[in-house]
Amino acid sequence: MLLYFIKRLAGAVPVLIVVSGIIFALMQLAPGDAVTMLISDEASEADKARIREAWGLDRPPFIQFLNFLGNALTGDFGMSFRYKMPVIEIVLERLPATIELAVAATLIAVGVGVPLGVLAAARPGTAWDAIASAFSFAGISMPNFWLGILLILFFAGYLNILPSGGREPWGLGVESVTGFLIIDSILAGRWDALGAALKHLALPAIVLGTNMTGIITQMTRAQVLDALREDFVMTARSKGVSEARVLWRHAFRNAMVGVVTIIGLEFGTLLSGAMIVETVFAWPGIGSLLINGISSRDFPLIIGLVLVYTGMFIVMNLLIDLFYTLIDPRIRMN
Amino acid sequence: MRKSTLSSLSVAALAATAAPLAAQDYTDARVAIATTETISGYNPYADPVVLMGSVWCQVYGCVTRYDFDAGEFIPYLAESVRAIDELTWEITLPEGLTRHNGDPVLAADIVHSIDYMANNPGSGKSFLVSDWASVEAIDDLTVHITTQTPDATVPDNLAGVQVTSKALFDELGDDMFRQAPYGAGPYKLVEVSIGQHMIIERDDAHPMTAQNNPAQIMYRIMPEPEQRVTALANGEVQIAQGVPPQLMQRVRDLPNADIATTNSVEMMFLAMSPNTHPWDVHEARQAVVHAINREAIVRAILQDQATILHGPVSEGQIGFDPDFTTPFEYDPAKARALLQSVDLEGVEVTLSTPVGRYTADRQIAEAMVPMLEEAGFTVTLDTPEWATLWANVQQGNVPFYYMGRGSMIDPSRALHQYFATGGSPRIGFSNAELDELLGAERSEFDPEQRAQKMQAAIRTLVDQAPAAFMWQHQMGWGVSNDISFQPRPADRADGWEIFVN
Repeated sequence: MLLYFIKRLAGAVPVLIVVSGIIFALMQLAPGDAVTMLISDEASEADKARIREAWGLDRPPFIQFLNFLGNALTGDFGMSFRYKMPVIEIVLERLPATIELAVAATLIAVGVGVPLGVLAAARPGTAWDAIASAFSFAGISMPNFWLGILLILFFAGYLNILPSGGREPWGLGVESVTGFLIIDSILAGRWDALGAALKHLALPAIVLGTNMTGIITQMTRAQVLDALREDFVMTARSKGVSEARVLWRHAFRNAMVGVVTIIGLEFGTLLSGAMIVETVFAWPGIGSLLINGISSRDFPLIIGLVLVYTGMFIVMNLLIDLFYTLIDPRIRMN
Repeated sequence: MRKSTLSSLSVAALAATAAPLAAQDYTDARVAIATTETISGYNPYADPVVLMGSVWCQVYGCVTRYDFDAGEFIPYLAESVRAIDELTWEITLPEGLTRHNGDPVLAADIVHSIDYMANNPGSGKSFLVSDWASVEAIDDLTVHITTQTPDATVPDNLAGVQVTSKALFDELGDDMFRQAPYGAGPYKLVEVSIGQHMIIERDDAHPMTAQNNPAQIMYRIMPEPEQRVTALANGEVQIAQGVPPQLMQRVRDLPNADIATTNSVEMMFLAMSPNTHPWDVHEARQAVVHAINREAIVRAILQDQATILHGPVSEGQIGFDPDFTTPFEYDPAKARALLQSVDLEGVEVTLSTPVGRYTADRQIAEAMVPMLEEAGFTVTLDTPEWATLWANVQQGNVPFYYMGRGSMIDPSRALHQYFATGGSPRIGFSNAELDELLGAERSEFDPEQRAQKMQAAIRTLVDQAPAAFMWQHQMGWGVSNDISFQPRPADRADGWEIFVN
């Protein structure tokens, strides 16, 4: 198992190098640079040239990339042009907020999508199936930013029961231990803070999880329907096993491999969706940071963040692979 | 040339007008402001964004500031700022001025701050000071700035100079901004959360603060206008910056808040680069100005939340002439006749516009297309991503574009940048008469004389039409009924101008 882990992680290194190379090349092709975007439009050409030199942007792109790679191997992703801080420091400060949001969205998507999909598969062609399909298609097709604004207007504006954005209210005062506000609130025994954190998390997590919920619902329905047509299900039924046990123990368990695969793949989509959701809800994660980085051509920050995203995607899929062995003993790590 | 002395509304004078009150009389109310701006970090010189610059001025204190009531730049940290000859400005600090940690504010601090702004790669505001020939501390309280040419805009530039501590910088370097952000402004820095919020706290001992100024202010980034308005409605924030025209009525209908508007002091214009055809033809440029029905756009798209411009400035700005009206009224027939006169009817042009950068920018540009086509242009609308458009504009690669230019209380820098020969490549306009007039206003220190020279330059500029001046947006601010706040032209929300009811 450990060897498998090491192999997979070692295999990720070339992926990260290739990804950083592609991003760097794309950034070079895009018009403008950080100096154009971050220095006042009143700056003279001489001032801009001086700052380009200081930031290393006057060197040939290939040399810039090699420098970046060399430093990145030592864990130094450079300084953000915009924030004048080490990229790694900014990313580590903001990463927990995105992970917290992504995990909450995934839990919502799995918690709603799986039962709904199983329900639809157990009663195909019924009203339940139609409702589940309508719900999932709505979730898949609804744009994040639109749903986000709609929920802000309804829950924050009309009902006034949830905050309109942000991660915590002013002056919450929970000491940051892990960076995960929910965990830190629990560690501090601050149940009021936990409540406030959950209230702030609710809307962005629902919005972010909506698309994934729709896909998981559809995928679960299809996988369970397939499984229900298998011979072993017929055998189970002929042996007198209860319908609930057939559904959950036999059909659903066999359908889980496909569902889990989709969850892993959709995690990447979810992370990209987080950029929009974080912007709409002013959520202080790395998604909104990446949007700001792109708009200001902050190359070190962009590459650093893309590598984090890639790393998260790789780790997520590694965890999914491990999970396969738990749900299907026929699958082995070798 | 007359020597110029800024009115001496100094810190000391303020002390006399704002009688100190007992500590228990000061309100402990906090105010949150939803902003559209960025918060880049602890370095006050890093980001040239106007609102955040004014927040840093509240913390560190800037050398001057603009008095919107008096309509002039006045000393802020300084006791006086005056021109002692054509090339030398003298800044005098008041005796006994101290930082929040008790350290004195010295002339060396001003010299250090200007040097950092001009030369440190961490500065994004070098343009304010890099043209000055020298900056020298004469004694502990006196600084002399020597300019290369007579420059009446020095007080304007000094309004962007936050005075940080040389001694602390020598000790801590750039870490000073984070570890020891001790200023001499009316508010102290409490917390910066990069890209999220910034919190400042009233300095009760400062003569500019009053008992009913908020005890703490949080500037909180909320990029979405719907979110800002909703947060105002449910009491999460007390001030919402940048309420767009379509949401103003919603704010007016709120039981707990109202809308306050102010001029943006940002000219919106259509730039036409004479380096490209057909904009090298004077008549083609004039045809554009005749072709655009600005009244219709302001009424229908901007819902009357804009002031139509007859030149680059409006009331309250240096160089505004209330008697001047543009000779280029809306007249599509005249526009077509002008194009026909130079055999350019049907000429193909591409209009570039940012999307989401300015109020209703795309809708406005879409409305302009049929107007231009009615006048005889064949128009393609181009809507690139902002960073791409901006990079190309700065390199002079966009012939025809809709754009805004802020920070124009004193319009001199902007007019030189866009319309003087060699000012920048973004329009590439050159006219000897205009250069001379702009040079004359820049070197005139007498305010009245300077205004007249600026007006002469503006008349020539409008006639030459390298740009069609459109309007200045009225900026909407949502303000809670719990506070009193009248926004000023240009984006700023200073604590000493916010009062808790």
